[in-house]
Amino acid sequence: MLILLKGGRIVDPVNGRDEAGDLWIESDRIVAAPAGRLADEVHDVSGKIVMAGAIDIHSHIAGGNVNTARLLLPEKHQNRLPNPRALPLCTAKWSTFETGTIYASMGFTTVIEPAIVPHQALQAHLELSDIPIIDKGTLTVLGNDDFLLSLLRDGEGQAAVADYVASALAASHGLGVKCINAGGAAAFKYNARTFSLDDVVPFYGLTSRKIVEALQRAVVDLQVPHPLHLHANNLGIPGNVATALATIEAARGERLHFAHLQFYSYGAEGDRGFSSAAAELAAAVNAAPNVTIDVGQVMFRQTVTISADVLRQFNSAEMAKPKKSVIHDGDGNGGGIVPYLYRENDFVNAVQWACGLELFLLIDDPWRVFFTTDHPNGAPFTTYPEIFALIMSRDARAEAIARLPQEALAMSTLPSIAREYTFSEIATMTRAAPAKLLGLTDRGHLGEGGLADIAVYSPGSDLAKMFRFAHLVFKDGDLVVRDGRVSHYRWGKALKVNPGYDKSIDRRLAGYYDRHFGNSRDLFAVNEHLLPRADAFAEVACAR
Amino acid sequence: MSEARIDGKPASLAAATERAAALLSAARMPVIAGLGTDVAGARASILLAEKLRGAYDHMHSAQIFADLDVMRQAGLMYTSPNEARLRADVLLFIGKDLTKIWPAMMERLSPAEIPPFDLAREPRKLLWIAPARSGAKADGLTIETLDSSNLHIALAALRARAAGRPVSCAKRMLRKLDEFAMVLKNARFGVAVWGGDEFDSLAIEMLHGLIRDLNKTTRFSGLPLGCDSNAAGVVQASGWMTGFPVRTSFGRGFPEHDTWRFDATRMIESGEADAALWISAYGPEAPPWKRNIPLVALAAPHTAFAREPQVCVEVGCPGIDHDGAEFARETSSLVGRLASHRSPAPSVAAIIGQIAKHLGGAASC
Repeated sequence: MLILLKGGRIVDPVNGRDEAGDLWIESDRIVAAPAGRLADEVHDVSGKIVMAGAIDIHSHIAGGNVNTARLLLPEKHQNRLPNPRALPLCTAKWSTFETGTIYASMGFTTVIEPAIVPHQALQAHLELSDIPIIDKGTLTVLGNDDFLLSLLRDGEGQAAVADYVASALAASHGLGVKCINAGGAAAFKYNARTFSLDDVVPFYGLTSRKIVEALQRAVVDLQVPHPLHLHANNLGIPGNVATALATIEAARGERLHFAHLQFYSYGAEGDRGFSSAAAELAAAVNAAPNVTIDVGQVMFRQTVTISADVLRQFNSAEMAKPKKSVIHDGDGNGGGIVPYLYRENDFVNAVQWACGLELFLLIDDPWRVFFTTDHPNGAPFTTYPEIFALIMSRDARAEAIARLPQEALAMSTLPSIAREYTFSEIATMTRAAPAKLLGLTDRGHLGEGGLADIAVYSPGSDLAKMFRFAHLVFKDGDLVVRDGRVSHYRWGKALKVNPGYDKSIDRRLAGYYDRHFGNSRDLFAVNEHLLPRADAFAEVACAR
Repeated sequence: MSEARIDGKPASLAAATERAAALLSAARMPVIAGLGTDVAGARASILLAEKLRGAYDHMHSAQIFADLDVMRQAGLMYTSPNEARLRADVLLFIGKDLTKIWPAMMERLSPAEIPPFDLAREPRKLLWIAPARSGAKADGLTIETLDSSNLHIALAALRARAAGRPVSCAKRMLRKLDEFAMVLKNARFGVAVWGGDEFDSLAIEMLHGLIRDLNKTTRFSGLPLGCDSNAAGVVQASGWMTGFPVRTSFGRGFPEHDTWRFDATRMIESGEADAALWISAYGPEAPPWKRNIPLVALAAPHTAFAREPQVCVEVGCPGIDHDGAEFARETSSLVGRLASHRSPAPSVAAIIGQIAKHLGGAASC
């Protein structure tokens, strides 16, 4: 079928376009205007904004820890609305089905779950299979696992490390590598209560720095498009900007993605020993072209923090609201689930909120700053439309700022910042840059041959409304959303890489599992035929 | 070959599933019970429950919610069997049924071995509270035991002594409690292993309180053994599909969870539910209720029903007759089980898929 989107404002930074024009779709691709053919379907989108489908690089939407959070908090997601549509479970709050439905209605077509330990990969992919419409992907968590730490302790060399990382990626069907408080979860099992960049993991004699370096190199050696995705040490602690600056320095000019930087942008100034150091940190990011970051914006409401940084979660359990938490000393990282209420009239929460917006607004290059709330840790992804409004409108910020404790804002530069994101910058940050960062050449732009993942918005004075209810959304050329309502389910792929490696590491791992765990490594395999639909995966090429 | 019966007489699968669909869709409040099935079977059941606007429950809910209610009221600290095996310098076993629940437990946790991740590399200390009368034995290992006929009192007294608070009991008992408390407090990474129906929420919450207290100064975690018939796997699938565990209903058109209202047996005995789909693929478990209501059963062969179901389809066992994903006690995670004796016996998911087709409406997922 040939579809024409007629007369919209095409915002496509990859191809340097921000102008009125037509866009043609045939089957699942964007095509050039075909000579002498009429469209089978024409959508008049004059006055609308046409962008590629949005890509979320860091959102906890699946896996054992997310599911534990669901089961921990039944009282926080009571349903009220009958399912009006012939879409199974689409209104069941916090279900996988609702997740895909809401993402699609906001114009998102690809979302990455960033924290899957290899031993939980089957559950993660079962859950992702039940998220409709969008494409998905997972990042494989390494850096606290005995096999890797033993390789490093024993000085086995970078080739063995790369082979192991590739084997773990292949077994867990990951799109990239994530490292969460490198060595911190392992150290916590030896009763460490704090863990920083140069602290040493007992038993292995390795620093966090050394583990990160090794993983960063392995990702480069394997030519995995996505750079190492790092959740650094000392998340959430006053004065932790020093750790963040040292971590950027430690990247030594090599590519590094620094996750949810907002949670590392804290100074220890002022009467309360808590302040924003986001301006200083943004300057450091601006000066380090090898570094990309995502924000992890905080918004004021009830949420739950879900993290494989088990050490951090254990320490924050006393701040749980409601007062209950789950701490899991799992294989490798484990995790912690701590419900939390961010309050507008709370000094610390208000500083956190300001820090996130400062990072958005003070990092100059929209190709290197990514739009996230670390869903649901800073806020649920359903708050994205409000955040778009905050970064696009100085007035929206002023209105929000007026409600906050002024002594908190005094600890931040936010009130002095005038910048407003343009639509083109939004398209870069949420479409073009994520596709580039993940190596997804088929999306994130509106050029010929690109995947027809397209979001059309109705601009208006209410920016949040515009982004909450996309006018039209196409996934693979299929019109799935009209005026913010999903019309039908379709099923996307889980994107993964498959780097080549020396398979002798697999034999070695088989022996290690038999001997150490007393279980076959095969037990943890993701058997594709056990997923509910065939062709669950699509491969992303590794050579850059 | 697979066996299907309608009113006790042999029938084709097509006829049986058609009749099942008619029976279930005619009900005002059908309930899916048992749910002894793999992840695919649980998915199909939950999608069917939404379609029928019915409720669903698992045969082991009493035990599921003993653990889960503590988690969602007070929280939980737990670890994996791998960590217990490789790291725990102290193993605290609690309850008389542990090796009955998990016959491979001792082999899997290998208490006789020095835990390779322990820095001190000393033989493990093994403790057992309220073991079976036959005693706590494992390969001739020394296991310190604390006998008790009341888990609540034993755990409360131990927690009190570990926190340095007084308890009132016989001197000999006090000495034992203090001995245990000392071992727990000196553990570097201790693991408490528990399970069985003698554990109610109060006992588990007390144990959890003890574990939390110990973590103020050292590391300690828990390893609940859970229950059979893929209870944990069904709860996981239910969690991501609806946000809730089992005992969830679609009666009002959206998932609602309530452990009392949507207890399948209670709903049936009280007359609230007027038809049932019973599922037990892992073993020949029969429905526990007495009331006579229209019954469709997807059951293991040789199930002895109190009354012949209106429709019965014999299904295969996941991991034996067909491949399936289920929760594995040996890893505390969902794993794939490949068929050990592949057979044509149908899976629960396949039969429910056919029943759902007869119901029409939206294509299932």
